[in-house]
Parts: sequence; structure tokens; C-alpha cells
Amino acid sequence: MCAAGQSLLECAQQLGVGLSGICGGHGLCGSCRVQILTGSVSEPTSIEQQELSAHELREGYRLACQTYPASDCQLRVPAESMSTSQRTQVEGLELDISPEPAVSAYHLKLQAPSLSDLHGDAEQVLQSLEREHQVSCDAIDIDVLRNISAQLRSRDWQTQASVREQEVIALGPWPSRQLGMAVDLGTTKIAGYLVDLNNGRTLAAEGTMNPQISYGEDIISRVSRITSSTAEGTQMRKLVVEALDRLAADLCAKADAQTQEIVEAVVVGNTAMHHILLGLPVAQLALAPFVPAVRGALDIKARDVGVHIAPGAYVHFLPNIAGFVGADHVAMILATEVARAEGLSLALDIGTNTEVCLAGDGKMTSVSCASGPAFEGGHIKHGMRAASGAIERFRLVDNDVHYLTIDGAPPVGICGSGIVDVLAQLCLDAVLDETGRMTHNHPRVRTHEEQWEFVIASEEERDGHPAITITQKDVRELQLAKAAIQTGIQVLLEAAGRFQEEIEQVTIAGAFGSYIDVSSAIAIGMLPSLPLSRFRQVGNAAGTGARLALISCSKRAESQAVARDAGYIELATVPNFMQIFTEALNIGQHTHKGG
Amino acid sequence: MPSNERRKQILKGLYDGVVAFDEDSVVEFSKAAIGEGVDAYDALMKGLAVGMEKVGELYASREYFVPELLLCADALYAGLDILRPHVKGGGSEESGKKIVLGVVEGDVHDIGKNLVKVMFDAAGWEVYDLGNDVPLDRFVEEQQKTNADVVGISALMTTSMLAMPRVTKMIKTRNPNVAVMLGGAPITREIATSYGADGYADNAGEAVEEAGKMVQMIQKGETAHN
Repeated sequence: MCAAGQSLLECAQQLGVGLSGICGGHGLCGSCRVQILTGSVSEPTSIEQQELSAHELREGYRLACQTYPASDCQLRVPAESMSTSQRTQVEGLELDISPEPAVSAYHLKLQAPSLSDLHGDAEQVLQSLEREHQVSCDAIDIDVLRNISAQLRSRDWQTQASVREQEVIALGPWPSRQLGMAVDLGTTKIAGYLVDLNNGRTLAAEGTMNPQISYGEDIISRVSRITSSTAEGTQMRKLVVEALDRLAADLCAKADAQTQEIVEAVVVGNTAMHHILLGLPVAQLALAPFVPAVRGALDIKARDVGVHIAPGAYVHFLPNIAGFVGADHVAMILATEVARAEGLSLALDIGTNTEVCLAGDGKMTSVSCASGPAFEGGHIKHGMRAASGAIERFRLVDNDVHYLTIDGAPPVGICGSGIVDVLAQLCLDAVLDETGRMTHNHPRVRTHEEQWEFVIASEEERDGHPAITITQKDVRELQLAKAAIQTGIQVLLEAAGRFQEEIEQVTIAGAFGSYIDVSSAIAIGMLPSLPLSRFRQVGNAAGTGARLALISCSKRAESQAVARDAGYIELATVPNFMQIFTEALNIGQHTHKGG
Repeated sequence: MPSNERRKQILKGLYDGVVAFDEDSVVEFSKAAIGEGVDAYDALMKGLAVGMEKVGELYASREYFVPELLLCADALYAGLDILRPHVKGGGSEESGKKIVLGVVEGDVHDIGKNLVKVMFDAAGWEVYDLGNDVPLDRFVEEQQKTNADVVGISALMTTSMLAMPRVTKMIKTRNPNVAVMLGGAPITREIATSYGADGYADNAGEAVEEAGKMVQMIQKGETAHN
């Protein structure tokens, strides 16, 4: 099936197997662990000898990105190495605005032409719009023209015209629905919504994984793959376009609709996802000074994007703010209305990149923090994504561990919310000191392969399977991740000359942010130490923002104002960045004062 | 001249002070070393430097982390400031080894590189720090200007790391006898080798030893590749 010289990970990617490759196939993350059942493969590399225990290697465990098949092979992919069937989140805030969509529908009754009336079909449509509805249009989409004659005749000269900014973009049967699709195109997950443009109601919601994930789970890995090979960029673009087509089809199936009925779409994503989907250059995005190819909002014909909805429809792309603060952040600001809050307000979307916005006194400023994949389970020895068997809640009471797993399944690893809990509990119970150093005299702390670790589920508790632990090195990774976020917040406060105690509301958006225990996040210092009543977890706010921009032109205008007015601070250029970051590495409640 | 016992006590005090990041104690023992006639170079190399070496080990095993390492560095520099003026020939040139350090162009993340600098300072190397987002030519120029034994280049991002093979080649073309060492989060030994570098260090704690090995190999006329 696969060409010679391809790693098992590359083969899996080609065959469409959802094998995880967090680091992009560099052997750094250990997430593509597979077990070789039959067949011969290359010898383990030094990376694998480091990443896998001698026992695992004997059992046939390998890293797919480091292993090259020498014959047909049979593999087992453990649940924690799968990139599919994870929890994808589509829930968000409810919409409560009156619709004013970009596309309006008009009922037309035309006269059949005769030998004494030789008007063209298109001219009839334009004249009727002008005469009956006082709508003056000057263009008809070429794909509409290609089908206009057959359509008008088969519908007995009655039709519904969809008009967008003086252009007829679709002709359909009268009466028919005007549907729109809103998409939050995340690095990991894609959320889609089918919306009735006339009443603003969401008819269906659907989540799926971003298939580009097999090219690396974070933005930087994907951009570096494209920088090295433009063919891979084309392939990644194709993958995501296909995913959007499938999403449109699935959404329509749920709402008993046809994809051709979708006459407008809105896509929000981070700047890299935006650029990759549009085939824009990305190399400069991930190199200082991190400049996007285009910042402003775009209206692109759906067929130029490559998605198959109504042929003349447009896809509206919300504006980007900077290379690492994209349209998804703009959409989040739009949905959470953080810019309109009375007092000082903080909104953050936690992920591999965490975008934070501080708003108050009519000003707002954003930063992007490189929080890394640790909170999504990456670079953590037993970390995993939120899938069945992941420990998602953790408590330590009198040296006894208590945990909950997703689906109540036997534990196979720890996901983000569980990881935050573990860190908080170890810190509160003094298993970790303030610097993050693990105490060596706790009954559940031991050394294993020359590394201190805290045992969450021992070999005995797992019937002989390897223990699930948090190692000293894991703690260090988590310190880096939480310090990045804490530094972002601190820098924003200092730039605004405000104190954390003055923050009246903290809005946490995104899937991970919705599942974390806020008190645990406060305990480790990731979130500011404020009364719990000031926090709200709003789910997929970027998706909500995309829906708002889909049904309302005023919201679209507002998003452009947000992108124009939002200040942006590049963290690396802040003079005392190193000092703030170093202080933020300590674990414990965040008491450092701003101002 | 202090008694042998007192001399040992002072060296141990310097060592402990650095490891426990106790700046006051390091200052006290450094002054004692000068005041009581302990050779400043000995105090530096057998007290402070071995202390920092221990800190490097603790850092490599992740028992110490960035803040502790920086505090240890503060204690180290407090001692160096006192002792160096008393070392014949200025001190740092004593080891005779020089390194050029910098973060590759397109990348502004320099915490890791700063930690590496501390370890080389401690080990008595002469360090030429070019900072971050360093144009590739600057590495070549600085190496030629200083005739450094080693050029250490760091990258945090897989995007900026793509410039590393080019800069390595530029340096080696101009001067095959200089050792190029790569480091940073996305770099592995395999990647460093494939980029044509002579060496790699996983973390600041291991960088000095690795650099030492590379210099020896090159002096013997070997490279890491054969």
C-alpha cells in the first residue's frame, strides 16, 4: 500500500488512520505509540529508546514516526494514540439578536418571453428585482447564469432570488429557506453550525476533528511542514476543504436540507488556519515578527475556497489581529462582549496558543501566549486527549487518590482537566513545593527510570499494565504552560496599569476551559486569584461569534471595529518578560500585583 | 596562607552557596578567600564552578528549574565579581575556550540560551552572546572575529529551526575547525546530526560537557559524523 521510505506515521496518514502526531513527526511527543503485532520494521532509534521503556520495546511498542516498515505489518493503535473519536465541543452561548443577514431573498414572478418580447432571462430577473422590490442589482453570478434558463422554465417563471450586495448569488424555488453555515476552524477541532438566516435560529450543530492533525497538532509544526514542502500545504488545504464539505453535508442531513441551500458561510479560525484554508503564504507567520499575509476581512466565492455550497455563495472571513491572534479571537470578543463590559474584564481561550484579551475603559488589548500542548496532554508522559478512559477529575485525600474517568472506563491516561487537578492537588498537599520540586518522602512518590514521579494508578491497580504517573519532568512542562498564560495576563495588567483584584469578570472560552475546575486553575496560579463568582465558562465562544457574524451585518461591522481597535502586545518584546515569566513559573496562588 | 582545612571549608562554602542559591554566603566566602589568601582561580574553579556544575546536574534531572537556576546564577555572579579581579590574567581566559551564542533569526525566545550562557560563564569559558533573532551572517562574522572554538545556536520553534542547517553550513564552510552545537526545545540529537552540527545538548546542564567533548574531537581531527 505504502511507498518505500515512508514511516508508519506517514503510511497511517496516507491511509486515513487517525493516528496522533502531536509534534509533527519529529519524535518529540511520544503520542504516536503503536504496537507491532506482525511484520518486520526498522530498528528502534535512540529517540525511541529514550521515550519507551525496555519492557515496552520488548512488547513491540514503537513510535510510528520513527519506525519504517520492511514488510507488510499489522499494528495495534492504543486508544491514547488515536486522534479521532474525542470530545468535540459545539455548545456555546445562545444568540439573542435580530437577524440582518448579508443575503436577502426576493420572490420573483416573471413573464415567459415571446417572439414579441425578446428580453434575456437575466435581464428579466434584474428588472423584476428593481420593479417589484426596488432592489437594484448589477451582477449575476456566473454559475447562476449557467443554469438560469432551465431553472426559470422548469419553475414556471417563479423563483426566489438571493441577493448579496447588488449581486444575484442564487436562484431557488419559491418559497425556500435561506441557510447559512458558521464554522469555527480550530487547529484541533472544527465546529460547524447550520443557521436559518431569516430567523437566526441554529438548525444543527456538529463537531469534527481537523484532519490536518496528522501533520502536527500545533500551528508551528504545520507551518514548518508547509515551509519545507508546498505539496504538503496543498494536501493540508485539500483535507480541510473536504472536512468542511463533509461538515456541510452532515449539518444539512440533520436539518433535512441540501447543501445547495446554503447561500452564505462565515469561517473563523486562527491566522494560520485561515491562511492554510485560503492557500495564502504561511512561512512568515511563524517567524519573527510574525506578520499575517492579510489582516482584513475577506469575502471569497465559495467555489474559490473550494467548498460545495450554493455555487454563487460567498464565504466571509472575519479579520485577523496578528500572526498569533486570529479571527477566532475576534469572534470570541464579539460573542463574549468583553469590549462592552462596564468594568475591567478578561477573556481567554486556552489552547496550545492561549489568546487573552483585557478590556476596560473603552480599550482592549490582546496577547497570545505559547502555552504549548501540555494542557491537551502533549509532552506529558501519561497525558492524552479527552477520550474514553482519560482521568478528567482528580482529588488527593489523606494520601488516597480519587479520580473520575471519561465514560467511567478504566484509566488509560490523564486529559487536560485532570492534569490541572493533579497539579493543584499535589501543590495543595505539599507533594510539590512552591518551586515545583517533588518531595521524595510521600508514600505515592517513587523513582522510576531515574526520574521522580507521583503514582496515580500503580501497576497493581492496573492489573500489571504500566502505572499512570505524573513525573517531575511533567510538572516542569506544566509549569511552563501555566506560566505562559499567567505571564500573558500579568503583562496585560501592567500595560493597562491595573491590578488583578480589579478584574470584575473573567470569561473562559474554548473546550478545555469549559471542562477545567476553575478553583484548581486558581490554585496553581494559572488564573487570577479572584472569587469564583467572577468567572464564567462559556464554551465555544468563537463558534458563537461566527454565528453572530453570519446572521448580522452589524455584528460583522462590529468585528471589523474590534480587529481595528484591539491593541496587541508581542510578549517577547516586553522588556521585563523574562522576570515576569520566571516568577510565574512558581506554583501557587497568583499574588503578584500589577500596576 | 590558610590552613588546608580552612581552605577546604572556604571552597565548600562557595560550592554550597551556589547550589543553595545563597548569595550572601557566596559573597562572604569569596571575601574570605581573598582576605585569607586562597588562590582566586582555585576558589573560582574548585568552588563556584563545581557548584554550578552540580546545579547543572540538578537542572538536567529537572529537580531544579529555571527560577532556581537563575537564583544560583545570581549567587555565582556575586562570587565571580569578587574573585575575578584577583585572578592572574583576568580569569575567564584561563580555560582558553571561547563560545559564540545566539538564538537563530526569526526566533525571539532566549530564556534557554541565557541559561546556557550562565553555565559557560561558570565553567570559565569566554562567552560572546549575540542575543536573539540573530541574522545568520552574524554567527559567521562573530566566530571569525573572536576565533571561538564553538558556536552554539538555539531555536524554540520548528519554523525557525529550519534555518539551522544553512547557518551550520555557512560556519563550517568558512572554518571547518569550529564546532557547531545546536539546542532548543524542538532539536534532538538526530536532527542536530542531520543538520550537519557537531553536537547537541538536551539542556543547559549538559551543554558545557558536550561542548568540551566537541572541542576535543575536533582537536583530534575527528568530527561527530565519523
